This record gives sequence, structure tokens and C-alpha cells, in this order.
Amino acid sequence: MVALANIGLIPRPVHPTGVWSWLTTVDHKRIGLLYGFTALAFSILGGIESLIIRAQLAAPNQSIVSPETYNSLFTMHGTTMVFMVVMPAGAAFFNYMVPLQIGARDVAFPRLNAFSYWVFLFGALLMNFSFFVGAFPDIGWFGYAPLTTNEYTTTGATDYWLLGLQVMGIGSLAAGFNFAVTILNLRAPGMTLMRMPLFTWMTLIVAFLLILAFPPLTIALTFLLFDRFFDMNFFNVSAGADPLLWQHLFWIFGHPEVYVLILPAMGIVSDVLPTFSRKPLFGYPMIVFAGIVIGFLGFGVWAHHMFTTGLGGWASAAFAGSTMVIAVPTGVKLFNWLGTMWGGSLRFKTPMLFAVGFIAMFLLGGLSGVMHAVVPVDTQQQDTYFIVAHFHYVLVGGSIFGLMAGLYYWWPKMTGRMLSERLGKWHFWLMFAGFNITFFPMHFLGVIGMPRRIYTYDADQGWAALNALVSAGSLVLTFSVLLLLVNLAISLRRGEKAGDNPWEAPSLEWATSSPPHHYNFAVVPTVRSRYPLWDEEANVVEPPPLPPHEEPHMPSPSYWPLMLAFSIVMLAVGLLIWQWHALIGIGFIVVMMVLGLRSIYGWVYEPPAVEAPAAVHAHT
Amino acid sequence: MPRPTLIRPTLLAVALMAIAVGMAACTSPLTTFEPASDAADRILSLYILITVAASIVGILVLGAMAYILIKFRARPGRKAQQIHGNNKLEIAWTIAPILVLVAIAIPTMVWIATSSSRAVADDAILVTATGYQWWFEFEYEGLGPDGGTLVTANELHLPVGRQVAIELRSVDVIHSFWVPALIGKTDMVPNRENRLEPFVPNEIGEFWGQCAEFCGVAHANMRFRVHVESLADFDAWVAEMNEQTRADPEPGSAEARGKRVFEVLGGCAACHTIAGTAAAGRIGPDLTLFGERTTVGAGILPATDENVRAWVSDLRSVKPGARFMPTFADTLSEAQIADVVTYLKSLRVP
Ligand code: HEC
Ligand SMILES: [Cu+2]
Ligand SMILES: [Cu+2]
Repeated sequence: MVALANIGLIPRPVHPTGVWSWLTTVDHKRIGLLYGFTALAFSILGGIESLIIRAQLAAPNQSIVSPETYNSLFTMHGTTMVFMVVMPAGAAFFNYMVPLQIGARDVAFPRLNAFSYWVFLFGALLMNFSFFVGAFPDIGWFGYAPLTTNEYTTTGATDYWLLGLQVMGIGSLAAGFNFAVTILNLRAPGMTLMRMPLFTWMTLIVAFLLILAFPPLTIALTFLLFDRFFDMNFFNVSAGADPLLWQHLFWIFGHPEVYVLILPAMGIVSDVLPTFSRKPLFGYPMIVFAGIVIGFLGFGVWAHHMFTTGLGGWASAAFAGSTMVIAVPTGVKLFNWLGTMWGGSLRFKTPMLFAVGFIAMFLLGGLSGVMHAVVPVDTQQQDTYFIVAHFHYVLVGGSIFGLMAGLYYWWPKMTGRMLSERLGKWHFWLMFAGFNITFFPMHFLGVIGMPRRIYTYDADQGWAALNALVSAGSLVLTFSVLLLLVNLAISLRRGEKAGDNPWEAPSLEWATSSPPHHYNFAVVPTVRSRYPLWDEEANVVEPPPLPPHEEPHMPSPSYWPLMLAFSIVMLAVGLLIWQWHALIGIGFIVVMMVLGLRSIYGWVYEPPAVEAPAAVHAHT
Repeated sequence: MPRPTLIRPTLLAVALMAIAVGMAACTSPLTTFEPASDAADRILSLYILITVAASIVGILVLGAMAYILIKFRARPGRKAQQIHGNNKLEIAWTIAPILVLVAIAIPTMVWIATSSSRAVADDAILVTATGYQWWFEFEYEGLGPDGGTLVTANELHLPVGRQVAIELRSVDVIHSFWVPALIGKTDMVPNRENRLEPFVPNEIGEFWGQCAEFCGVAHANMRFRVHVESLADFDAWVAEMNEQTRADPEPGSAEARGKRVFEVLGGCAACHTIAGTAAAGRIGPDLTLFGERTTVGAGILPATDENVRAWVSDLRSVKPGARFMPTFADTLSEAQIADVVTYLKSLRVP
């Protein structure tokens, strides 16, 4: 075996620090941080895009940007915020926290985990690279056919969009499998499913959603790819195609995707509330069950995005019904959160403020959601700013507030340092105010008929005053995010030391040091209750750090995930080259396939790390 | 820590008040709340029902939350009660939303059933509306010459009190037909024939419409108007639209020079139709009785002489991205453009 494994292979990387250590890491905590930084970076990009949008719309008939640029801005703002900010931010937390919460040393497939990240990052970079070749995607984040077909798009922008998404999707699928297996198989002794922290539970559901929701998107994108690159006719209306095919496939993915974005936030809030209320989660089984039901029902409501496409009476009724039904488990969660705070001793630290803000804002987003489940009302609201208001309440007031709660909650664990409470409170209140000033008036704009995705409007349409207010609000919102960045920077430089469990929280991630050792737990804890650190502190407290030679054997770093991800994104680039010059493109693709196969081979037969002197045990 | 809990409701109240004041200052010709047809009336009553229901639920839950946040805030000596749940309560708050939702679902289902099965009246006006990048064409079935179709563009005329049944088509990408005062939107999907619920406009007036599905560069500038008028006015308009032999303008007049520009020098006739003249192009909007139009460019500008001249000389300066129609600033003189506009504006119901 050893002989086979070593045939002509590059030795494993061994750098413990420096750039190479990050490029080759398979440590779930480092990968979590990578996801986190990436999300932060892209949120700045997506934020700038939205600010230009708000500048353009601040007054009637402005021409700060051209209509083409405006279309690119809202396309990339949406695509960026969904796929490159909120998803990876959720991934950052579940990468970092889930193994800790279940008392594991890493995820089930550490190299696959690294691969997920790199392939996501490369896909995102590929899509944004389009900016530099003057072909920034401009077909909306939903990419409705036939606007995306060759007939109606003159630039290659749509190619970058679809290839970028396709590549990123591979990362999501891999992460889905990895975390489903991790959570089901790597739990510490005694950590039964019904003892798992809620964040882990919601991650488990998200993992299954990723596995089931991405294939329809992959299929849709593949169809589009064949249309655009090989002149097929899946969406070619001149050849008789029915463009609604795209919408069905997209929303069968798209609606579960909404839950991919919101469930991690719900999980975070369900962990934060008990900690700061000083009491157990109210109705834990109900909250878990509601999450599962939401996961299932999430696949049965997609056509509520299509009420105006002429579905016909029966389909409209069915999807209106299922959409109303899905409000029930959501309501149950909300009431249970209130129940959790009831009778507690509420400490309003920053994570708690964001968690409470989440409940309030998500409630409003949920209620407006039920409003457009009423089909006739939706025929007036669909594609207006009312919808823009609705989903920003769900995705910013919901997801992002939840993620902020998570950031303030877990930052001390991840960095070993506290964030400033003062700045945190300022951040929360400014963000809360800025968010509501920005998005609440959009409900009214929708009611008075302002459609989405318009780069201009006239003064006589009557939308000027509210738009000015909205744009002003977006500045407040931006300022609050700057406060966050300042807070993070200060904390890294001279934040107060955190200690293992600064919030006196109940779950296992708080049993280890802050930041945790690379092996997480010196001794894998045994769990006897749902709130181990509250109920049985003595049992799970982490012993002092181990001397190096006694450290548990952790998976070694590897080049291959990075290489494989690189070769995959280069296959996509090869297609773009092929469009420009067939032969060079094919040559490039062949080279990259070889590199990809080589990476898979290297991955499969990767030898154990040549660890300094103690490498002997690797050969047993 | 009482501060945040008190600030929250105050802030919310202030924000709401500010917005209510803002609202009062803002009405729009595209508002949903001034319905002018039976269908829009019915939608609005459901809209109000659901808005009231959602607001009540929202206020109750936010109120309960505010109470909890204040009552149970940490104070010296307070100990959290270690409750894990309460089955009765949890069942109650599963059932309560179900009841509210059923109350909403019933009228929704009734609406779906009635609107999707509403019969087209015998005397209904039948219209096919077609979306083009980026304008609308309207064809009236049976109202044209000899019982054929009558074609117009961007401004739909309807008689008040008569049912209208509209079929929706698109020749390129997906558009959406939406006149908030008359009817909710339905998409115009290529290779599909969608129908709007037949509706009866019940108020005379000019109503604003808008393409509501993102359809490319000029989506924002794809608007239209609906003129709901008395039956007499409507009939007069239809009769004049169908006039087969339009008298030539007085020779030597601006109109006559303009007609020549339209049909010969500018080549406008290759793309535009003016019924009763030699112009029979089908690529651009039908311009018959253009003088009756209140807007130019698919509802985006008032049809003043100045705006129409600007349109003809360089339409992409007012509607970036517009397709097919050339820029005439270089090929026609200013005088010729003025003449053709005078000609177009002279096409009116006498
Ligand atoms: C190659 C075809 C073509 C030619 C030639 C052409 N047009 Fe057009 N025209 C169009 C199209 C297409 C539109 C619709 C553009 C839009 O709204 O996006 C249009 C729109 C218009 C409109 C606005 C119609 C409305 O409903 O508001 C006017 C007025 C007009 N054209 C006048 C002219 C005149 C005058 C000429 C000749 C000097 C001319 N056109 C030549 C294709 C053409
Ligand atoms: Cu949905
Ligand atoms: Cu449009």
C-alpha cells in the first residue's frame, strides 16, 4: 500500500503558518475563517453596488450610470449578496462551529471541505472577472430565459454568470454532503440528535437542502450552457421553446435557497436566545421539527414566484395554499423564541440585540410574505418594490441580523478576543434604524406602483420623495457597517481577552479554549444532556493543552483540493476561450482535464504527511 | 438595561409616523389604491383585508415581544425560570396561525376560482396585447375594417362600462402587462397565450400602465396608457381609425411636406403604418391617429411637438437602447423633422 501510495507523488505540505498553510489547510476552523473573510470582502463589493443603485434612484431622471450599467449593478448585487455573502457567511459559521458543537475534531471529509471553499471562491472570482473584460452580467440574478439566450444578449456577460454559478454550485453540493455526513456520524458520545445545539440542527437541514436544491439549478444552467455554447434550443423561443421551463427549474432551486439563507440565522438565534435569557430553549423539539417541516415544504412552494406567469387556477390555488402552510412552522418557531425569553433574565449584550432584532424584522418579512401568498394581491405586488421590501426584511433583517448575532456571539471563540460592547450597540442601533429607513418605505413604493429593476423614473410618477428617503437610509446602513469593521479591527489589535466561555453559554464549542486548538478537544467529551456546560460542567471542561507529542493526529494539509478546484474553474475558462478560438480552447480544456485528473489521482493516493521525526506511525 | 427596550418602540413609532407623513405627500398614477374597474376593486378589497390582518398580527406579536423584553430584562436578584416548554401553549400557537391563514385562504381560493373561470361577455371588447422590446401593440378583434382587426400601439382605448378581455403575447422576451388601476399584472410570455381576467372599467380617465417584468435595457421605459372613455368617444375613435381614405393634406402645407418625409424621404413608412395612407410598415408601432396620443415613446414622454421632434431626431437620447428605429438627426434636416412631426400631430379625430 505504502509503495502504491507514494508513486511519484508530491510530498504533502507541512507549513504550519504563512500563505501556504492557508492555501493547503484542511482545518475546518481555518476554512471557516476563509469563508468569513471572503463573505466580508464580497459584502463590501455588493454593498458598493447597492449604493450606486441608490444614488441613481435617489432622484428622478438621473443618469449617474447608464441603463446597461444599472442592469449589471442590480444583477451583480443580487447574485453577490445571495451566493457570495449570505451563503458563505452561513458556511463560515457552520464550518467553524458545527464540529465544535458536536464535539468532533474536524468534518468528515476535511479535504472535500477545502475543495468546497476553493471551488466556491474561484467561481465567484470568475463571475466578477467579467467586469474587467467589459461584460458584467446584466440579466438579473434570476436570469430569466429567453433574455439570457444568444438572441437577446450581445455580450459574453451571461456566459460568465452561468459558468460562475455552475462552478460555485459544485462547492455547495460538496459542502452539503460533507456536513450531512459530519453531523450524522461524527457526534461525540452521548450527543444524540435531540441533544444537538439548534445551529447544528439547522445546518443539517441546510445540508440536505443544498444537496436537493442545487441539482435543478445545475440542470437549468446546463441547458442554458448548451443553448449558448452549442446552439441547442432549450430556451430558444424562435424554435418553439417554452421559457417557463427555466422559471420552474430556477425556483425549485430558488425557494429552498431562501431557506439555505435563513435557516442558519434561525439556528444562531435559537442558540443565542437561551444563552442570554439564561434558560433553555422553549419547545426545543417543536423548533427542530418546525425546521424540518420548513425544509420539506420549501420544495413545494416554488411557483409562488410565478403567480403572474399564467399558471392557471389549480396551480395558483395549490401554491397559494402551500405557501400559507409554510407560514405555520415559521410562526411556531417565532412563538417558541418568545417563549424562550419569557420568564428569563434577559441580558442585552450585542448578540442578543441582534437576535431580538432578527425576530422583529423577520416577523415583518414573514407577514409581507403571507400577503403575497394571496394571489390577487400578488398580481399587484409582484415585481414591485413591495417585493424588494419583503425579501430584504427576510434576508437583511432576517439572515444578516442573525449572522450578526452569530458574529458577535462567536467572535470571542474564534479570535480569543471580545468585541467592544459600546461600538456593538452603536452598530446595532444604527443598523436597525438604517435598515428600516431604507426598506420600510419600499413597501409604500410598491403600493404606489414602482416596479423593480428600473434604472430611472419620472417626477410625475410620484416616487421621488420616498426614494430620496430610502437612499438616505442606505447611507445610515452603510455607516453602521463601517462601525462593525472598526469594531473588528480594534478587537483584533487590543480587544479584551475572552476566556473559554465569556457568555456562560451551554454548548460544547464553549468547552474548549478560545481560539480552539487545531485539534478542537484534547479529550473528546461525553455528553449527557442538551446543555452540557450548564448541566454537567465538570464532565466536559477541557483539560490543559496537550504537549505536542501527545496531540491527536489531525488530517494533514493538502495541495489537491486547491488544484482540483483550480482545474474545474479553468475548464469553465476553457469554454470561454473556445468561444473565441476553438482550437486553443480545446487545447486548454484538455490540459485542464489532465490537471483535474491528476489532482483526483493525487487526492486519492495522497501519502500521509512527512511529519518531522515522529512520522513512523504513518507507515503502520 | 432598560434603554434598548424603550428605544425600540419609540424608534419604530417615529419611523412609522415619518413614513405616514411621507406617504400623504406621495400619490402616483400607478397606485394600487385607486381602482377604476370591477376587477381592481375586488383585488383591493382583498388587499385591504390582508393588510389589516397582517398589521394586527404584527402589532400583537411585536407588542408581546416588547412586553417580554421589558418585563424579563435582567435585574439584580432575578433568576430565570428553567422551563423547557409547554405542550398546550405550543399546540395553541400552532393552531392560532392556522386559523388566521384559513381565514385568508378562503377568500383567496374564491378569488382564484371566480377570476379564472369568469366568462367573456358576448359584447366584450376583445384585445390582443403584444409585447415588443420595448413597446406594446394592441389589436382589437372585429373592430377593424370589414370586421378585421384594428391595430394601435402604446395607448389602449376602452369604452367605460363594457367588459374587455385581453389576451397577452410577446414576440421576443418576457414582458408583463400591468395597469394597477384596472387589473393586476400578468406576464406576456413568448409561445404562450395568457389571458387577463375579463374586467369592466368603471371610470372615465387616463390610466398608466407599465411593463413589470425585466426585459432588457429599456425595461424602465416600457410604459403605456389606457384611455377609458365614453362609448361615443370610443366609437368615434374606432371609426376614424378605420378610415380607409384619408384626405391628403393641403399641398404645400407643412403637413404635406411631412407626409412626404414620412412616406418617401425618411422611409418611416417602411416600419410604421398609418391606416388610410400608403404607410403600411409593421416593424414599429402603428401611428394611425398619432395626434390623439398623449405620450410618445411607449408612454415615457408627453406627446408635445418638442418631445416628438426629439424622439424622431435621436430617440436613443430619450430611450437608451431602443431598437430598430434609426436616428434621423443626421439624415433629415431640422425642418424636415419639424414637418413630419406636424404631420403626425395632425392625425386626429376631427
Ligand atoms: C427601422 C424601422 C423604423 C423606421 C425606419 C422608423 N421607425 Fe419609428 N419606430 C420604430 C420602432 C421599433 C419604434 C418603437 C421604439 C420603442 O418605443 O422602443 C418606433 C417608434 C416611433 C414613434 C413613437 C411611437 C409611440 O407609440 O410612441 C414615433 C413617433 C416614430 N417612431 C416616428 C418615426 C418617424 C417620423 C420615422 C421616419 C422619420 C420613423 N419613425 C422611422 C421603427 C422605425
Ligand atoms: Cu419562494
Ligand atoms: Cu419590461
